[in-house]
Amino acid sequence: MPDWGRSVNEEMQQHLDDRYDELRAAGASHEEAVRATRAELDLDEPAESRKGADVRERSTRPASAAAVAFGVGDVVGDLRYAVRGLGKNPLFATTVVATLALAIGATAAIFSVVNAIVLRPLPYPDADRLVVVWGNLPSIHLQDIVVSGAEYVDFRDRSRVFDAIGAYDPAAFNLTGQGEAERLNGVVVTGSLFPLVGARTAIGRVLQDADNQPGRARVAVLSHAVWQRRFGGDPGVVGRLVALEGQLTEIVGVLRPGTVFAFGENEPDVWMPIVIDAELLSDNNRGSRTYTVLARLKPGVTIAQAQEAMNHVADSLVRDYPSHYRGGFTTTVRNLKGDILSDTTAGLYLLLGAVSLVLAIACANIAGLLLVRAHARRKEIAIRAALGARRSRIGRQLLTESLVVSTIGGGVGLALAFWAVKALVALAPADIPRLHEVALDGRVVAFTAALSMLTGIVFGVAPALQASRADLTEALKEGSRTIAGGHRVRRALVVAEVALSLVVLIGAGLLINSFARLQDVAPGFDPSHLLTFRLAPSTAKYTFEKSEQLYADVFSQLASKPGVEAVAAIDALPFSGYGGDRSFFLEAKLNPPPSEKPDEQVRFVSAGYFSAMRIPLRVGREVTPRDTLRSPRVAVVNEALANKYWPHEDPIGKRVAFDRQEPAWYEVVGVAGNIRHRTLDAAEKPELYVPYSQPLFQGWTARPMFIVVRTSFQPTSAAGAVREVVASIDPDQPISSVRTMEDRIGESLGRRRFNTLLLSLFAALAVTLAAIGIYGIVAFAVAERTHEIGVRLALGARPRHVLAMIVADGMALVLAGTALGLAGAAAATRVMASQVFGISATDAATFAVVTIALALVGCCACLVPARRAIMLDPVTTLRAE
Amino acid sequence: MQHNNAMLDRELKKGSAELLILSLLENEPRHGYDLSKLIETRSGGLLKFRVASLYPLLYRLEHRGWIQGRWVEKAGQRRRRYYKLTAAGAGVLASQRNTWRDFVEAINRITRVEHA
Repeated sequence: MPDWGRSVNEEMQQHLDDRYDELRAAGASHEEAVRATRAELDLDEPAESRKGADVRERSTRPASAAAVAFGVGDVVGDLRYAVRGLGKNPLFATTVVATLALAIGATAAIFSVVNAIVLRPLPYPDADRLVVVWGNLPSIHLQDIVVSGAEYVDFRDRSRVFDAIGAYDPAAFNLTGQGEAERLNGVVVTGSLFPLVGARTAIGRVLQDADNQPGRARVAVLSHAVWQRRFGGDPGVVGRLVALEGQLTEIVGVLRPGTVFAFGENEPDVWMPIVIDAELLSDNNRGSRTYTVLARLKPGVTIAQAQEAMNHVADSLVRDYPSHYRGGFTTTVRNLKGDILSDTTAGLYLLLGAVSLVLAIACANIAGLLLVRAHARRKEIAIRAALGARRSRIGRQLLTESLVVSTIGGGVGLALAFWAVKALVALAPADIPRLHEVALDGRVVAFTAALSMLTGIVFGVAPALQASRADLTEALKEGSRTIAGGHRVRRALVVAEVALSLVVLIGAGLLINSFARLQDVAPGFDPSHLLTFRLAPSTAKYTFEKSEQLYADVFSQLASKPGVEAVAAIDALPFSGYGGDRSFFLEAKLNPPPSEKPDEQVRFVSAGYFSAMRIPLRVGREVTPRDTLRSPRVAVVNEALANKYWPHEDPIGKRVAFDRQEPAWYEVVGVAGNIRHRTLDAAEKPELYVPYSQPLFQGWTARPMFIVVRTSFQPTSAAGAVREVVASIDPDQPISSVRTMEDRIGESLGRRRFNTLLLSLFAALAVTLAAIGIYGIVAFAVAERTHEIGVRLALGARPRHVLAMIVADGMALVLAGTALGLAGAAAATRVMASQVFGISATDAATFAVVTIALALVGCCACLVPARRAIMLDPVTTLRAE
Repeated sequence: MQHNNAMLDRELKKGSAELLILSLLENEPRHGYDLSKLIETRSGGLLKFRVASLYPLLYRLEHRGWIQGRWVEKAGQRRRRYYKLTAAGAGVLASQRNTWRDFVEAINRITRVEHA
């Protein structure tokens, strides 16, 4: 039966022409005849209505008037048909739209975050030329450290590669005499820093280099926020004198709102000049390092060239001040953005990688769904083609349908992304830099939408067009049930989906496992029922002795409150972000080589600190109220420090000093347990605890301390009593950072929790999509094999065996996908090494559990359609043929 | 109306369409348009073939060897494809007709009893 398509074509066009002629002969108008002839086709769509015209164009007869009328195809009709077609198959439409929306939404949201934080330049003029200059003390393995005022001035005066250079040091200032006392975040800076970051004022002026000169009046610049909050936005604030740290300070300007000046987390409220005086530049202070140096490279200068130039500057310092740099001194010049983001990017790229995999899975899923649909419609398409519809015409119709689905999916996805970005920013831990810059990015949305639409077009239209070229005979044969090419592609898509989702799942599994282990880490103290806050007496008002009295009063008054079990203090509380090392000398080794000079974390504590924190004492005693200025100096060390310096000796009775010239000896009286200080996953460090009341040097000043209050009740409810007590002792004394210890530890887990939560969400999404994909392919295979299944059942095959046959077929794909996925995960999770804790990135248990779980999900996805198949009545099945 | 059509469609699928075509071709060869007109007029408009169903059906019947199509050219007219019943088709027609008659009679017996 060769060329049946053309033959039937001719018959059908004759049929239509006959119909038209007959109607006209019966007196119908042209329009009526056309309408009636169209109805004859009854294929329920405008695309077909053109068929007559197409047919006539190729007909041997001259085109009739009817043919012209048939040509009125229109986009609106295409659209209406597409919507109607989707409405007929709501499950298909919903699945595609939901898949698209979730993929576009999630990818656009995560990419917006990564783009805003990692990819976009910093919001400063010539941001790509901004660099940070760190110091290094190689002999004692200190890298990327802040520098001293003298070193900054040397950098400034001796380098030739920078357009501008400035320095800053975060500080905090007590604002008093303006209503309630408040501790303001601030920063001391060189005037040169303002143009470096493009900061300009709303009113008044910024700080200038002249303000850094000694002997000038104390001046300050305020943030827009604090100007509004504390001064009611009063423009008369410029020129006003306010008490900052107990000293009158003239406000000279207010920065514009939105000025981004934060180099870390907290946007400062107050800027004050660094006073560059003889004292700061003196030899004594060359080693007192507190400043971060920021500079802008001259145009055309590379980081490497700047590093080279700074190496010469550092060498010249070592030559000129040999006594200060016995162990050598070098610098590191680093791009500002890279420096700010150093520890943030890994986690964000991990999320971006995961969400990209989800997007790929979604695209594979949509492709699979569209292939199935195209296959199901091959008959319809083949008839249309046989009826003479041009392939371009069929293509346009299918394109319209793909675009309708993609547009709806894209629209929902956009809404989802908009919401998701807000949720991400709200959920994200506050210590992620540049978080406030995050907003839904238009380019990202466009990119994702384009990608998804492309998927729809490629997989929705291409196979359909292929079908239109296919042999109509084959397509129409009821028994025909193979379009082998499409089949292979669909199966490959499912394998890929399973593989990709296994990678995402294993990643999530590793993070969840790590997080659980991390939460089990004991910090070395009892964080429950602890309220903590920071008290920073201003040095202008409080001498060291007065500060001791202040702390003593706070302790005694708080301790007398009901429910308060213990009160103590430390300068650098665990999980507060504070800490600091200091070099000291062992009595037994007063002249160590520079590389062996002890330099460890040194803390100042009040009496009773260890018992208040419930840090166990291994040997000896802790600091008590009897350890005073007049009693012998004592120290407590932790086990790590004892093991490091006195590995085989009794540390009790050993002595250390902080000044070699006139050593004041501190005798070790106790050994305490190790604690986690910054994060639960960081190693425990050696620590040396010194009583606050036994200062290291003459002329010691008041130090800010964290107060810890152990309560027998909910610790947050002690906050009121704390404010009341401090205000009753000194109404001008603000407190800050009032938080429970458990909150602090929780915050330290913030990034990890965030990454774990998001990756788990993506994993859930990936598995759902993969399950839909597996279900789809198995259900389709079952539908295709209805006849075969019917025959088997009719011939007496056991339903159990038929079920096993179908499930086995589906599971072959799942297992192939898992094998690929395991290989992929083993390679991909290597980048997660920095994100896992307590397990390896190729943790066998995680890999196994996740793989089994995914296989089970896959099995369920196979079982549902397989069960339906064996429920079929063999007779019905066969009759359907 | 909608309901009727749907029901008829199902009937046609079940094989009555084949019976109709074969019956109409029993005595003389006919072309497709002729067949569709006859079905419509003789059923009083109740039965109507869609173009997209009729011609594929004709193809199927021909493929099974029940009918045979042949292009016939007449002066002044376009060529048309005429279908005639084959010997095999005649056998099928006879058997289908019997089945149909049995079926109708069975239905009638039941409905008559109900109405009596």
